[in-house]
Amino acid sequence: MKFQTAASRRWIAIRAIPVAGLLLLAACGASNTPTGGGLGSGDLLVGVIAPFTGADAGLGPAYYAACLAAAPSINSNGGVGGRQIKCQQFDTRGEPADAVPAANQMIASNSNLMAVVGCTSDEAATVAPIIDRAHIPMFCMTGQSEFNKTNLKYFHRLVPADVYDAFAMVGSALYGPNHAPYKNAALVFGDDIGSQAFVDPATKAFTKLGGKIAINQPIKLGASSYRTEVAAMLKSNPDVILTEALGSAGTYLKEVKTQNGGKMIPFIGTSATIDPTWFQQVRDAIGIDDLLKYYAGVDLGYTFTGTAYSEFLTNLNAAASTFADAPKYKQRGSTLHLYDGIIMTALAMVATNSSDRTVYNPKIIEIANGTNGATVVNTYKDGVAALKAGKSIRFVGAGGENNFDQYNNSQSGYILVAYDKDGNEVTAGKLTPDQTAKLIAAGG
Amino acid sequence: MELYVAALGFGLVSMSVIAIAAVGFTMQFGITNMINLAYGEVMISSAYVAYYLNKAGISIWIGMVGGALFGAVFSFLLNRIVYAPFLRKGTSHIGMVIVSLAVSLMMANVLLPIVGYYSVSYQDTTGGLLRAGGIVLTTNQIVIIGLAVVLMLGIHGLLRYTRLGKAMRATAANPTLARNCGIPTQRVVDAVWLITGALCGLAGVIAAMNSDSFAIANGAGFLITALAAAVLGGAGQSYGAMIGAVIIGIVTELSAAAWAPEYKEVVAFGILVAVMVLRPQGLLAKRGALAAAG
Repeated sequence: MKFQTAASRRWIAIRAIPVAGLLLLAACGASNTPTGGGLGSGDLLVGVIAPFTGADAGLGPAYYAACLAAAPSINSNGGVGGRQIKCQQFDTRGEPADAVPAANQMIASNSNLMAVVGCTSDEAATVAPIIDRAHIPMFCMTGQSEFNKTNLKYFHRLVPADVYDAFAMVGSALYGPNHAPYKNAALVFGDDIGSQAFVDPATKAFTKLGGKIAINQPIKLGASSYRTEVAAMLKSNPDVILTEALGSAGTYLKEVKTQNGGKMIPFIGTSATIDPTWFQQVRDAIGIDDLLKYYAGVDLGYTFTGTAYSEFLTNLNAAASTFADAPKYKQRGSTLHLYDGIIMTALAMVATNSSDRTVYNPKIIEIANGTNGATVVNTYKDGVAALKAGKSIRFVGAGGENNFDQYNNSQSGYILVAYDKDGNEVTAGKLTPDQTAKLIAAGG
Repeated sequence: MELYVAALGFGLVSMSVIAIAAVGFTMQFGITNMINLAYGEVMISSAYVAYYLNKAGISIWIGMVGGALFGAVFSFLLNRIVYAPFLRKGTSHIGMVIVSLAVSLMMANVLLPIVGYYSVSYQDTTGGLLRAGGIVLTTNQIVIIGLAVVLMLGIHGLLRYTRLGKAMRATAANPTLARNCGIPTQRVVDAVWLITGALCGLAGVIAAMNSDSFAIANGAGFLITALAAAVLGGAGQSYGAMIGAVIIGIVTELSAAAWAPEYKEVVAFGILVAVMVLRPQGLLAKRGALAAAG
């Protein structure tokens, strides 16, 4: 039998001090955790969770630029109830195995997360449920079909599913301007989850509308060369290449040009190829003349004009002091959309006067879609003013109108695009409603 | 059949690129007993040195010399400033591997803001296209193959016929005995870092040329391929690394032609695993070669 002596009681008391200290610290920490009422105090954080290294390293900077542009738009207009927005990168390396610890670390170390942006197809399937469980609104740049009817309440998607991107590419091949319909297509997509999502819908749509898939060639992203792959592709005699192989496009396309005797084959890229990094890589590899002549892309129908876009552009250019490449993303669709997503989240917080994510999350969709009689606003400043005047608002931002469905997916139409010599997007054509209907019906 | 012949030709190019990298890596290990996991990052850094020279209007062939010089000097300094002090303190083999891994990560992260995350290309590096019996190669690829052959012969000549080469082999076999026999092993080690560093730099530029478009992230890939060829051939064995490069280079391209191209590296590394199971010391090394190098 052991007896509790005075010394042992003192020892227990001494041991209790750090425990009490920890409890006190936890209590202090909890004061930063969003609770029911009021907007709270201290900085708010937008987590940019995306690949910043690895084969898809070109994606993360586009999203980070969105946050850097959105932050001053909010901060210079009083912040969110006085709270300033900060942006922080969380690198997933484009790998689910790296993305999960990155997401957990982001959530565990930052109780002031107001929203998360990024989560590409590389990692969305693994990180979105984690972020959802933590009740943090997220805006994901994934086109994966598993999110078409998602039950994740905090998930938001401002871009159409990949199937529509694939249909638009097929539309460009069959109905695009300045060329006869292509009938023999090579599908050259990276072996990552995101790129492979285009293959099945593109195949279905293209073949049902009379085209033939000359070769379906998944390529290993980041390989040192694609000589044999290109030889096999050329042997199948395609008249067009449908492609998304981010990070490896330059290597592959240069090899096409080399083995094809210095002549390119027309190639059509997904909306992700409307990207300054992709443009630079392919331009350097095959030359600007061939890029302008043989490339066609698809993109959502942005106007790149208006009050919202002007403010976005001003802030994006100013962000160059923090991130020199930021201005390059002036026409990157995902940058525009995520900028809008962050501003809509801030407006939702103001509208609900709450920093409790469970309270302001449902308001985001209401602000995006608008309700009957809602005042349309294009900037955070105007939104806050309208809310303070007791009005309900609809935010139409730099990326245009949003129309969320019950699964938090916002859909919009595609246009056919090309590049100019400076890497700016130019509209090359549009798909008619009839053509669009045919493509969707064919692709299932 | 035509595709397989073409793939065989492409395999010759891949083999040449891998051989230069793998021989440098394996010599470094065989003589200095250092598994330098920063090798891939030195390769990609050298590729960028050549890129900036090329961008300034200098021919890529001169840029290649610049890359090799950078690789030599950087590797020499890396050993003198980082690795050698750890070795003097008696850091274990595994400890040194971790140190080199740390150096690799630091280099990658320091380079990222300097060179950017995007891919770049050398200018005018393709050359004309030559076709012979189904094999399709550019003139520059033929130069690369020729360069690899010359370098391999040069390494063979160095190790076999020169005083320095003999001193290197003696140092590799037993550094203490070599020192007691009057061989200035420290200077030999310095020379090894300079020579293998130059090979590393050269391999980096050639690998970047071979890729047409490269980015900072490629450094890890370069290392894995060189490491695989070196291990396949027998760690520390220069001739083994050459054989390993031939196998990996050819198999990778042929499997891309015969099977799904996204698995071409899986096939190559599958062969590596199979060889390791049947002959753990590699194709050329004797059993215990890893331990003997110490």
